Amino acid sequence: MTDFPQIFGGHWPGVLAATVAIMGFITVNALMLIWLERKVSARIQRRYGPTEVGPFGLLQTLMDVVKLIGKELVTPDHVHRPLYLIAPVLVFAPLLALLSLIPIDEGWIFHDYDIALVLLLAFSSLNIIGIFAAGWGSNNKYALLGAVRAVAQNISYEIPLLLAVIPIVIMTRSLSLHEIASAQAAYPFILVQPLAAIIYFIAGTAETNRAPFDIPEAESELVAGFHTEYSGMRFGVFFLAEFTHMVIICSVATILFLGGWHGPLLPGWLWFFLKVYGLILVMMWFRWTFPRLRFDQLMSFAWMILVPLALVNLLVTTVVLKL
Amino acid sequence: MTVELIVVSLFVVLAVAGGVMAARSRQILYNIIGLGISLFGIAGLFLQLGSPFVAAMQLLIYIGGIVVAIVFAMMLSMPMAIDPPARSLPKTIFAAIGSGLFLAGLVGLLNNTTFETRPTAGDEAWAVSRIGNALLEHYNLVFEALSVVLLLAIIGAILIARRDRTPA
Repeated sequence: MTDFPQIFGGHWPGVLAATVAIMGFITVNALMLIWLERKVSARIQRRYGPTEVGPFGLLQTLMDVVKLIGKELVTPDHVHRPLYLIAPVLVFAPLLALLSLIPIDEGWIFHDYDIALVLLLAFSSLNIIGIFAAGWGSNNKYALLGAVRAVAQNISYEIPLLLAVIPIVIMTRSLSLHEIASAQAAYPFILVQPLAAIIYFIAGTAETNRAPFDIPEAESELVAGFHTEYSGMRFGVFFLAEFTHMVIICSVATILFLGGWHGPLLPGWLWFFLKVYGLILVMMWFRWTFPRLRFDQLMSFAWMILVPLALVNLLVTTVVLKL
Repeated sequence: MTVELIVVSLFVVLAVAGGVMAARSRQILYNIIGLGISLFGIAGLFLQLGSPFVAAMQLLIYIGGIVVAIVFAMMLSMPMAIDPPARSLPKTIFAAIGSGLFLAGLVGLLNNTTFETRPTAGDEAWAVSRIGNALLEHYNLVFEALSVVLLLAIIGAILIARRDRTPA
């Protein structure tokens, strides 16, 4: 297990290398996912999507990033400056920590914490503070409304998410992501915990604030919600955070329910990424298929359907395991 | 050793600065974020003391739970755009006296206590399974009592929220 001074004292080159690797992954991944999102949405709406820059329009997002970086960073007059400036960092930083916990293949992990799952849930609850700081610090009614909705939504959907994860922990008697994935060598847990898997995926989609759960940034009602007042690369950081969050939710779903790196023929890491990006495709498919929920529908769906179902599932799991 | 010292002082500075921010600022969201920073610093200290599980719990429960719940409560209760009233002098004086007395008491207490020095507990001592066993065996009664208290709080909240509501 970890001991902290060693991580910072003895292994700092490793920590540095890991951070650089993760940053690189986040950037490339976001570029590709934004391209994919545009292609998927275009295909679903019978359009072509980006075609001009690079083969299949692959370099379109790169050009957009160059444009974003080149743009002036406008800070509106009446914002609460410290909060306004720190908010994108607060949203992004926890995700950086989260990615370092994910095992990609047998033994391919930066550090196998025996409490990785607790750390994961702890850090993923932090970025909501950043979202609220963004909305409140912007001093704009649309931004504030968006932030208020985001907080309400995230609190509500975190509970079914936690309740869906607990049965897996009870089954494997471990909080280490590596051990949980290793325990699924014979069969993935989605076969024995289908309900938990579905609840986790729905709640996870809600946590990323994507359609059909995108009321915090509903364009037709709130302009752009909590990031209305952000421009240039500050807006870009929120975007990076959203796409990284998708990868994290899908990676954890893969590890908890789809057996992680286990699969026939192909090497483990390839299976892992195939599963993760398959789930991401499903998320995109959701976004362009379902209409946005109304606020009261969103709340009652979490509290009246997902939470009771997750509780019943947890109860049944414990009883079955005890028999 | 020096690296350790730097890391510890960093977390102490975070904890104290967050506390000052939580007490000083007149904007309620800054108070809340100050509290969050302070709790983050304390989580760091737990990590430094060799208990990553307690540190993670500190993050999960206090920052992810309590601080977000306070934000939630604030957002439902008061108009956030209104400027808060100026700080009144008598209040400041009494607060200073109160916290000064508390500090004096605390320092006195710390000075009069002899702390046992023990070898640093290994990783095993704070393993999750050890904590779980302790909670469900040795501290069983406390654990159950806490869950009853929480249940009462939930029922109470539901009762208060339902009181003024007419059946639809």
